[in-house]
Amino acid sequence: MELKQIYEQMQGDYYSVLERLSTEERIKKYLLKFMDKNMDRLILDALEEKDYERAFREAHNLKGVCANLNMDKLEQSASALTEELRGGAPKGDITAYVQALQSDYDMTLSALKNLDE
Amino acid sequence: MDKNTLLIVDDVDINRDLLSDIFDEQYVIYEAGDGEEAIAQIEAHKDEIALIFLDLQMPKKNGLDVLQYMNKTGLINQIPVIMITGESTVDSDVKAYELGASDIIYKPFAPAVVIRRTLNIIELFENRIYLEKKLEERTSQLRDSQEKLEKNNEFLVNALSSVVEFRSLESGEHIKRVKTFTGILLHHLKTMYPEYGLTDEQLKLIINASALHDIGKITIPDEILLKPGKLTKDEFEIMKTHTTMGCEILERFKQEENEFYQFCYDICRHHHERYDGNGYPDKLQGEDIPIWAQVVAIVDVYDALVSKRVYKTAYAVEEAERMILAGECGVFSPKVIDCFEASKLELFTLTEGKFSFLDEVE
Repeated sequence: MELKQIYEQMQGDYYSVLERLSTEERIKKYLLKFMDKNMDRLILDALEEKDYERAFREAHNLKGVCANLNMDKLEQSASALTEELRGGAPKGDITAYVQALQSDYDMTLSALKNLDE
Repeated sequence: MDKNTLLIVDDVDINRDLLSDIFDEQYVIYEAGDGEEAIAQIEAHKDEIALIFLDLQMPKKNGLDVLQYMNKTGLINQIPVIMITGESTVDSDVKAYELGASDIIYKPFAPAVVIRRTLNIIELFENRIYLEKKLEERTSQLRDSQEKLEKNNEFLVNALSSVVEFRSLESGEHIKRVKTFTGILLHHLKTMYPEYGLTDEQLKLIINASALHDIGKITIPDEILLKPGKLTKDEFEIMKTHTTMGCEILERFKQEENEFYQFCYDICRHHHERYDGNGYPDKLQGEDIPIWAQVVAIVDVYDALVSKRVYKTAYAVEEAERMILAGECGVFSPKVIDCFEASKLELFTLTEGKFSFLDEVE
């Protein structure tokens, strides 16, 4: 599948990422790396252990990576969860934020699965 | 360019790759995944690193901790740091700048812009360090040549003033002692009476100038200068002219606006004035007598008392002190007397100890 289509599928910004990183080859290299990182797992593990500081950092990291790769939809839900966790403890019930993030993450990954061809 | 290494600090490898891919053709790249690793890398490679990219949020030690470490070690002035951060919060930005970060770049960043800003900052830093080094070199050269000049100057002043002493059949030790004693009194004066506003630089000049206090004696005829007995009234009048004659000599080489000249002139002219206005040559009274001349006056009297001269034997230090305090050898300001009292142990020790009285004549 074309990279442009993949970006459409995961609701990212293909033109912005291409403008910054210049070549599709480079973009693909980073996307492939991202697929193997299970960054959602890192956040969920930290939340399960109630290590909110680490959960904040991991959510923050995901947000940063998404920004660099213009995966806009996932960036938004990562950013929302990051803000809920800022300050060392959840501001309220974060279940909805976690679910939104998980669903966006799964959506993004399934779009990226089309990369290999 | 002698530094060829960049250190990239971020706990997410994709972020590190994004940066290292931009620079790995031009630079050797070191990476660190958290603040602790970063500090270890900086320790190991501080002389090679041209610039550090530093993430803010990291496990173990964060970006601000690394900046704090660099401040503590002074490395923040040697290696520029660009913060790479996911968001702009005024608080952390201000904190990073306060801790010496050169720039802050926000994700997502455009590589072309990062390259420009990075190279600019590296160049700025190299220039600044180069200029600082140059300036330091120049300053130290200037300091060296100034020290040399001061030494030469002191040598010439000493040589000139000892001419008078040789004529008086003295050995030059009186001059040395007057300079030393003047220095001791002046240092007490500076702390006890800061209202005179004397600086360390001025103290040095005054001490040097004190060597010339009797330069005018070169004009006094031998039969008066070397007379063993008491001078007649007429002879004493001639002897008194050594103050104004000294100034005449100096005036031939007058240097306007020169502090050292002014000290020399005042000391030559006024080191026989009395605080009550009954001295010579100008009968100056009280604080009209420049303080440096007042100091040299009391020192000159003290040294004359404790030395053997052609016309007298030496007094013991306590007796000399008593005579000065009793006003038997001139009248001095209470402040100058205070300084003399504060200095007396040092003066006595020098007088009775190793200080040379080679000028004593049999």
